[in-house]
Amino acid sequence: MMTPRRAVLTALGGLIAAPGLLSGCSSSVIGGRKQTTIRFWNGFTGPDGRTMLGLVRKFNAENPDVHVVMQRMDWGTFYNKLFVAGLGGRAPECFVLHTRAMLRFALAGFATPLDTFVASENGLPEQDFEPGVWDATTYKSEHFGIPLDVHAMGMYTNRALLKEVDWNPEAPPVNTAEFIDVCKRVRKLPKQESERYGFVFTNLETNGYTLIRQFGGNVFTPDMQTCILNSPENQNGLMFGRSLIEDGLVPSPENFDAWIGFRQGRVAMAFEGIYMLADLQRQKDLDYGGAPVPQFGNTKAVWADSHNLCMRRGLDAPTAAATWRFMRFLSNNSLDWALGGQIPTRISQLESPDFAKMEVQAQFAKQVKIVKYHPKVPFIFEYLTEFTLAVEKILRGREKAPVALKTAEDNINRIIDRQRKQGVSGGDQA
Amino acid sequence: MKPRASGWMFAAPYLTLFTAFVIGPLLFGFALSLFRWELLSNVKPTFVGFENYAEAFRDPYVHQALGATLRFVWMAVPATILLALVIATGLNAVAGNRQGFWRAAIYVPHLLTVSVAGILWRWFYNKEFGILNALLKPIGIEIPWLSDPAWAMPAIVLMTLWWTLGGPSVVLLSGLQNIPVSYLEAASLDGATPVQRYFRIILPLMRPVLLFVTVMHVIGGFQVFGQVYMITRGGPELSTRSLVQYIYETAFNNYRMGYAAALSWILFAVIALFTLVQFRLMREERS
Repeated sequence: MMTPRRAVLTALGGLIAAPGLLSGCSSSVIGGRKQTTIRFWNGFTGPDGRTMLGLVRKFNAENPDVHVVMQRMDWGTFYNKLFVAGLGGRAPECFVLHTRAMLRFALAGFATPLDTFVASENGLPEQDFEPGVWDATTYKSEHFGIPLDVHAMGMYTNRALLKEVDWNPEAPPVNTAEFIDVCKRVRKLPKQESERYGFVFTNLETNGYTLIRQFGGNVFTPDMQTCILNSPENQNGLMFGRSLIEDGLVPSPENFDAWIGFRQGRVAMAFEGIYMLADLQRQKDLDYGGAPVPQFGNTKAVWADSHNLCMRRGLDAPTAAATWRFMRFLSNNSLDWALGGQIPTRISQLESPDFAKMEVQAQFAKQVKIVKYHPKVPFIFEYLTEFTLAVEKILRGREKAPVALKTAEDNINRIIDRQRKQGVSGGDQA
Repeated sequence: MKPRASGWMFAAPYLTLFTAFVIGPLLFGFALSLFRWELLSNVKPTFVGFENYAEAFRDPYVHQALGATLRFVWMAVPATILLALVIATGLNAVAGNRQGFWRAAIYVPHLLTVSVAGILWRWFYNKEFGILNALLKPIGIEIPWLSDPAWAMPAIVLMTLWWTLGGPSVVLLSGLQNIPVSYLEAASLDGATPVQRYFRIILPLMRPVLLFVTVMHVIGGFQVFGQVYMITRGGPELSTRSLVQYIYETAFNNYRMGYAAALSWILFAVIALFTLVQFRLMREERS
């Protein structure tokens, strides 16, 4: 019997399914041979899109019976479009989901569990995936995605600026003392037209999450029933971040564009995702490097997320087989994907000599075993709004850490209550 | 065929589309607003009457978003009308081809998409590295355009002025050009000074055009979304998150369709209220 949620989604889907029914034919006959068309949606609109397009073309050339059509759209609206397409029964056969968004698509019944494909004769070696990354794709013991990469946060360094403050760029800071030392040295440099800093907060959400996890904090209790954001560990992590600003070592956080400062050569260190590497690869006038994020608290941890290859639920067997062949191809060739600024998730690829040659990726990959994903909760956007707002208020000095975190904690617990009453399933601790 | 029937036939194509794409969704949205409908829920949509509306009145984020929207309207609309009037008056004084050039130049920013204009100004506004502060620094001023909640909304208004001022300027210019020269000549013969002519003749005659531009900008102001989303995403500290952005996030990020529909109707009511007040002003003018 259909669950109420499925019935609702099916009913809503029926309202907007007509165009999908008209265009739903996924196979055609080309030159007397049947060809299966796979639509592949992702948000790779930057240089990563060109890398992915190259892989898609390579697959199409090697597999004449399958034709993959890739469609890219901005991540900002990608999930809305994908969800609406899912409601209308027009979702693509293959799509990319971030780990933190996967639960919602699993709950809505749009993504299919992939365990039978993985275990099949033409499957993938489960043990070759980095365990933490692979486990993050599970919901209720089933895997809903094949992780293509793990975009861990790392530390980008301006090697020229490090040299200028007499710091060896080959040995970037690894702990609090060294990190603060570099920040102080940069602040002591002769004034220029625009100020220079040792460090800037580029992304409050990811930087803040790394800090709380490094100080031993977490967001939810293990059963995911209660938010514990206002813990002493989380307070300490974010108060440390604030102290850097109060001491004049770091500017008050800009919303987005502190990264420009790094690219302009006015910042010695910035914590950003590996996906920003593509920006730097095109910039020839910046002598940059990559390193693991220094350890500030007593726990080794950095924020990360992953792009996962997912398959639409309810595909017929031939289409599902063709889609799986494509997903398997991408996973097996994810070293090519890594070249454009990503970290592969297959251990065999991480340990390959070719990957070792990718300097920044290899440095960031040293953290793969300590990556921390955001918790998988169905109310991920509401949670992130509350979390980021609290981090923002604390780092800007607008509210003390216990006040801001308590407000966020109360709000998130109210959301949990609301979801419980509405029968929305809980999440998983990452 | 009776005239009344032919009139309906002429209107039928428009009325069909209007009903299908405006009236229908409006009514569907209103019905939706009376249901608790969360797309990820196991519970099927349940009729809750006006509970979504009651929740909206209790929701501090609605108050905050409505406050941000009102601040935008309060700052952007008067500034737009005033500056557009100044520009239109100036353009009206320029003769011949030069007027065409300046009119086009003022209108050009309006041709940019909101994403392009937004990204451009986000760079301009960067506190540490943006061009605006680079220009202000020599005179000892440094403004935290986007990182300070007190400055973020004025920054969005400033960008909006640059981006949209061309439209109302051109409309007001056409209004100015429609004022018969004989009125002004008669006033001059009666000894009116240029200032008197402007405030006693031109402005009163411009009132219908000004009201039209004001109504349109108030409605547009309440629906502000694109530039906010591109420049601040509603930050810092949600200080610029408009009601439309909150509705968008409620529906398409949080999948709370019933609640989002109720918020949309509240926004509709607010806009309708302001529009009615302005129409009332217009009626007084006619009487």
